[in-house]
Amino acid sequence: MTSIIVARALAPVVHNSLKQLFSKSPRIRNYSKCLQVATVNYNQKRLYAEKKTFERTKPHCNVGTIGHVDHGKTTLTAAITKVLSEQKLAKARGYQDIDNAPEEKARGITINVAHIEYQTESRHYGHTDCPGHADYIKNMITGAAQMDGAIMVVAATDGVMPQTREHLLLAKQIGVNHIVVFINKVDAADKEMVELVEMEIRELLTEMGFDGENIPIIAGSALCALEGKNPEIGSEAIMKLLKEVDAYIPTPVRELDKPFLLPVEHTYSIQGRGTVVTGRLERGVLKKGAECEFVGYNKVLKSTITGVEMFHQLLDEAHAGDQIGALVRGLKRDDIKRGMIMAKPGTVKSHDHLESQVYVLSKEEGGRSKPFTSYIQLQMFSRTWDCAVQVIVPDKEMVIPGEDSKLVLKMIRPMVIEEGQRFTLRDGSQTLGTGVVTKTLPRLSENDRLSLTEGKKAREKKAAAESNPTAK
Amino acid sequence: MLFLSLCNTSVVILLIFVMQIIVRSVRHFCLTHANFGTEKSLLATLRKRTGYTFANCKKALEIHNNDLIKAENWLKQQAQAMGWSKATKLEGRQTTQGLIGVAVEENKGVLVEVNCETDFVSRNQEFHSVVQDTLNACLSYLKKQSVQGKLTKICLDSEQLKNLKLDDGKSLADRLALMIGTVGENASLKRAMCIKTAPEIRLAGYAHPSSNDDKTCQLGRLGGILVYKAIEENENTNAISRGICQHIVGMDPKKIGMSTDEPVANKDDEICLIHQEYLLDESMTVKEILEENKLEVIDFKRFECGECSKAARDQLLEYVETCQ
Repeated sequence: MTSIIVARALAPVVHNSLKQLFSKSPRIRNYSKCLQVATVNYNQKRLYAEKKTFERTKPHCNVGTIGHVDHGKTTLTAAITKVLSEQKLAKARGYQDIDNAPEEKARGITINVAHIEYQTESRHYGHTDCPGHADYIKNMITGAAQMDGAIMVVAATDGVMPQTREHLLLAKQIGVNHIVVFINKVDAADKEMVELVEMEIRELLTEMGFDGENIPIIAGSALCALEGKNPEIGSEAIMKLLKEVDAYIPTPVRELDKPFLLPVEHTYSIQGRGTVVTGRLERGVLKKGAECEFVGYNKVLKSTITGVEMFHQLLDEAHAGDQIGALVRGLKRDDIKRGMIMAKPGTVKSHDHLESQVYVLSKEEGGRSKPFTSYIQLQMFSRTWDCAVQVIVPDKEMVIPGEDSKLVLKMIRPMVIEEGQRFTLRDGSQTLGTGVVTKTLPRLSENDRLSLTEGKKAREKKAAAESNPTAK
Repeated sequence: MLFLSLCNTSVVILLIFVMQIIVRSVRHFCLTHANFGTEKSLLATLRKRTGYTFANCKKALEIHNNDLIKAENWLKQQAQAMGWSKATKLEGRQTTQGLIGVAVEENKGVLVEVNCETDFVSRNQEFHSVVQDTLNACLSYLKKQSVQGKLTKICLDSEQLKNLKLDDGKSLADRLALMIGTVGENASLKRAMCIKTAPEIRLAGYAHPSSNDDKTCQLGRLGGILVYKAIEENENTNAISRGICQHIVGMDPKKIGMSTDEPVANKDDEICLIHQEYLLDESMTVKEILEENKLEVIDFKRFECGECSKAARDQLLEYVETCQ
């Protein structure tokens, strides 16, 4: 047995040295080919080894570029990869690789975003570039890559454009609070113009509710960096920009580092031991002996975890992602229901009124064929719970399948929901759309809740009574 | 004589030289004393006042020796030309986003489609005002047309739209070029449908997404116009006709449907307007709503932004069909 193992381990080495030996002497080079054929298995193994494995040594962060079409977003992205590739931190990408123009033009159901990866000394980045507003929104809703920060590109020659305001509004809408500005094309402008553009950007940022005074603004030329000219405005400016991105955009907290949370899937009562809840630990670390809280269905129950098991084996601590069973003290099986959330006390709250951004699937995507209006009753699914909701369309009169929209949802009972949580809306047997919670609103009053189930007639009657209270 | 004139020129050159030195030292003095440089604030003011690009503002100041008023006037004169040069430069770029504009004024109704490159621009005020100007130009064009029979429908293509005149005498193409110059993105006037009706026939318009306020001009990604006749008018007529127009925009019926058209088994596949379930009240069909409110649908037209470019060139037949 051992000899086989030794032989197996040595085989590639022997093969390698043999191959080298053969290939060095040209007369018998042909034999090396024969040998390769004979040892095809090892060759395959070596091919696998050539594919680089992703090394998780640095924290990850998602950024994206926003800005006018001609201000050089793609050039900047290409320049970043080029400058970093010189330090072996990225693979240089050409302009064409990023600007996959034919795809961008043929927009349709799918989201056309370019995803590029690179790393700096301190962090690893995923870089997103979307062609339009709707694409960014779809990207946010489906969660392809939530942007932790953005790089706004403004050309020094043009300054702030009328639609820059729209770009910043978008950043607000998709929850990007950290923006770093790159003033591009300074090779075509002079110093005073750059200063004025910077002033203008700061003014606009402040007006739009960003921290205009302190947002880092770097001036440079992406084109120079890409062509390797004028390093002081080229590659050095890019490095300066990346340094600011490193410093200004905070690293997102990893799921593992957050307080623990487990959506309850099932509860069992085990004779002589007590109640066990099962589910996948969504975040944090769960230890035996930890205090916990069950929230949902209008209830908050406190308890202590007396044991954690995975696959019927005891576990000292469970990590986010583990499918576990937790033994809890002093609660009956019927107290806990599927859909409740077990979390660290005080870290979650239940809500029944929220604002969300939803993408409504078109008919081709398996969605509804008809538009819907306010007051439609739907079923909302999130984590392990589901709940009936009434939908209010706040800023339009109807929502047509295939478009994204802001929706206000009123739930029939409060459940644990947080900003950034994803959910699905279904109408009977049909999936209507998918969305993300953007804001939780104050709880509904008892009257509001009762009116959720009212029909159209009752609603109209009420509205009429409110508009002229004297007439009876 | 020759000697004198030579002398003169040399004196002038010398003078200019001395002046320049003085100006430079003054500017230097200003800058070092934490005041804003005169020139810098000039550039900033000009940019603030006109909104043209920094590069152009700077050029204007250079040409006019930092005379703010002259520079501003020059910029305004040049804007048209600059817009045109930008527009020619960007001409080839595809425009797939944009807005549909709907305007209804008494017996005149207009649907227009104006396209741009990104939906950021289509959300911008500058772009909105161009669509509104296009609507107004179409309305005033429609005033000059006469009605034959119940209604006249006129289809305008890109070229015809470009030649329409605004109230101030400028052509729409000029107006569009001006906007292209400001936003730096290609844009195009795609198509328009103008409808003028006989007095007893009425119009309703709807654009989606739009706010609830009742303006003459509505802008959205989708738009529609309904041509109808009220057999018996009541206070609900306007609301119902608007609702049916909303229904048309939302449900995209392909035809009105005759009494000979049978309803389809699967309600979701229904393409006849009268047999569709009414969008705002699913318990009724459009036919029932029409009968209840004594309305008669004569015609409708629905525009969806980008539907022409999506359905590729082969859809041109549709134009032929609708031009009556």
